[in-house]
Amino acid sequence: MNKAQDNSAPAQAASAPSPCPWPLKPVISRTSILWMALALLLLGWTGWNVEMPAMLRLSAEGLADAAGIREQSQVGSGFRGMVEKLFPPAISVRTPLERLPGLDRDNLPAFSYIDSKKESFDVRINYDTLEQHISVHREEELIEPYGYLLFVVRKMWESLEIGIWGTLLAVMLSAPLAFFSARNYSPHWAVYAAARSTVAFCRTIPELVSALFFVLAYGFGPMAGVLALGFHCTGFLGKFYAEDIENAERGPQEALFALGAGRLRVLRVAVLPQVLPQYIAYTLYILDRNIRMATIIGIVGAGGIGQELKGRWDLFHYSHVCTIMIVLFITIILLDMASARIRRNIIR
Amino acid sequence: MLLFEAVYARYGNGAHTLSNVCLEIPRGQFCVLLGTSGAGKSTLLRTVNGLVMPSGGRVSIEGEQLGRRTLPRIRRRVSMIHQSFNLVPRLSVEDNILSGALAVQPFWRVMLGVSPQPLRAKAASLALRMGLDAGQFARRAANLSGGQQQRVGIARAFLLDPDIVLADEPVASLDPRTSEQTLALLREAARERAVTVLCSLHQIDLAREFADRVVGLRSGKVVYDGPPSDLDEAAVEHIYGEVQER
Repeated sequence: MNKAQDNSAPAQAASAPSPCPWPLKPVISRTSILWMALALLLLGWTGWNVEMPAMLRLSAEGLADAAGIREQSQVGSGFRGMVEKLFPPAISVRTPLERLPGLDRDNLPAFSYIDSKKESFDVRINYDTLEQHISVHREEELIEPYGYLLFVVRKMWESLEIGIWGTLLAVMLSAPLAFFSARNYSPHWAVYAAARSTVAFCRTIPELVSALFFVLAYGFGPMAGVLALGFHCTGFLGKFYAEDIENAERGPQEALFALGAGRLRVLRVAVLPQVLPQYIAYTLYILDRNIRMATIIGIVGAGGIGQELKGRWDLFHYSHVCTIMIVLFITIILLDMASARIRRNIIR
Repeated sequence: MLLFEAVYARYGNGAHTLSNVCLEIPRGQFCVLLGTSGAGKSTLLRTVNGLVMPSGGRVSIEGEQLGRRTLPRIRRRVSMIHQSFNLVPRLSVEDNILSGALAVQPFWRVMLGVSPQPLRAKAASLALRMGLDAGQFARRAANLSGGQQQRVGIARAFLLDPDIVLADEPVASLDPRTSEQTLALLREAARERAVTVLCSLHQIDLAREFADRVVGLRSGKVVYDGPPSDLDEAAVEHIYGEVQER
């Protein structure tokens, strides 16, 4: 016991707190507490404005409903109604033959057949004789069992194409803009300012809004979608590209300037190889995002699957909406996997 | 002939980094600049290719005075070797050597990265001369050792057969043995082509071994100018100042 005390005495002396040579800045000060209180107040106020308490109450009711504690809830019945309407998803297309005047009965489209089971009775009364005339009306329909699914996949492909071309357009527009908005390469401060503000302007306008304008100018369809995505993403790529040019290692650039090379040549040889992996990463990210956005942007009429989605939603064809959402979901999962793999393989 | 006539240069804050430098360096000379950090060695080198514009005096090469108008032409005749090599890390050794001809190639060739066969052959023979092999020639510059990278830097500097090579502490980040090899390669390549070399160094023994002439700078002034054989202790002390014990 005594010995242990003896041992611990010098150790304690070594680790004894040394007197502080100057006053230290406190970690929690009065001002930091004040700022924290202010931040909390602001959060409370804004949370009230966006109806967070009501959201919590409704969600709790919905959960209670799902658990069987409650009879009914607004959220629960909303979701239940939606699911009932959505399922089963629409896969086939039935078209009355009257609407297909040019159809060749011996040479139907692949997988399709003609269904004639549907009969309708037409009862007419001859008012002179008061006789009943029952005419059996046989309505024939062309049934394409996977018709709607194929149509949705085709529309999805169109969205992919819109996304790809929107990205291409963005790359082509942002490459020169990046050169002019990189501080160390821009030929003049006015050009620099103009390029910077153009890029910022493109970034500011959401593609859904610009798509509305492009639909007005170019009409419904993929053209408007490509333009909207292209311009919006120019705002991102232009900024990213320019920042990488500005941050590229200066040594090699200086070495080549010292050899008498001009800006564009130095940019090509000393900057581009250095920034290329990052450029590929940005562009792949934008491509990924554009394909996702291309599915949405059709809602304002800019082509692709979104346009179909909006049409079906407005017609209350919820089973068709369900098919569209399933195709969308599968596509985006596949896209995610593909882009992750490409990124792994290309960027070293 | 490289001629400095009363050259002055100053920092942004107005302090002189070079004051009244007068030097006459004949063609083919290997001239070493000695001096403490901040003595103005780099600045003097950079006035030759216009990376620093002198605030007074004139620099001329074979009678042609350096100025804004003559700069593009002069930069093609003056090449530079850098302390930190300044290679493009992700480009191959071949492309790094070929970048020495960046200013004189047609624009489309630069943009597509397609160099003419004779130039590629010349780059390869320069790489061979610098002791690199075919495997290293195809590798990325970033994957080479420091000594090998500086060999690439020297090959790049010699690609266009310059009149003058400026070497800014070319061996400062290399070990003593590699430093010696690198400087030997530089001197041989310069002798073969009768190229003037202006080289700043920190190692006095290397200066004694390789220089035809040593110029000592102190606070931007030439304080020593003579053959390396005259560089005795007193001269070194004059260049670097007395060692102050604390």
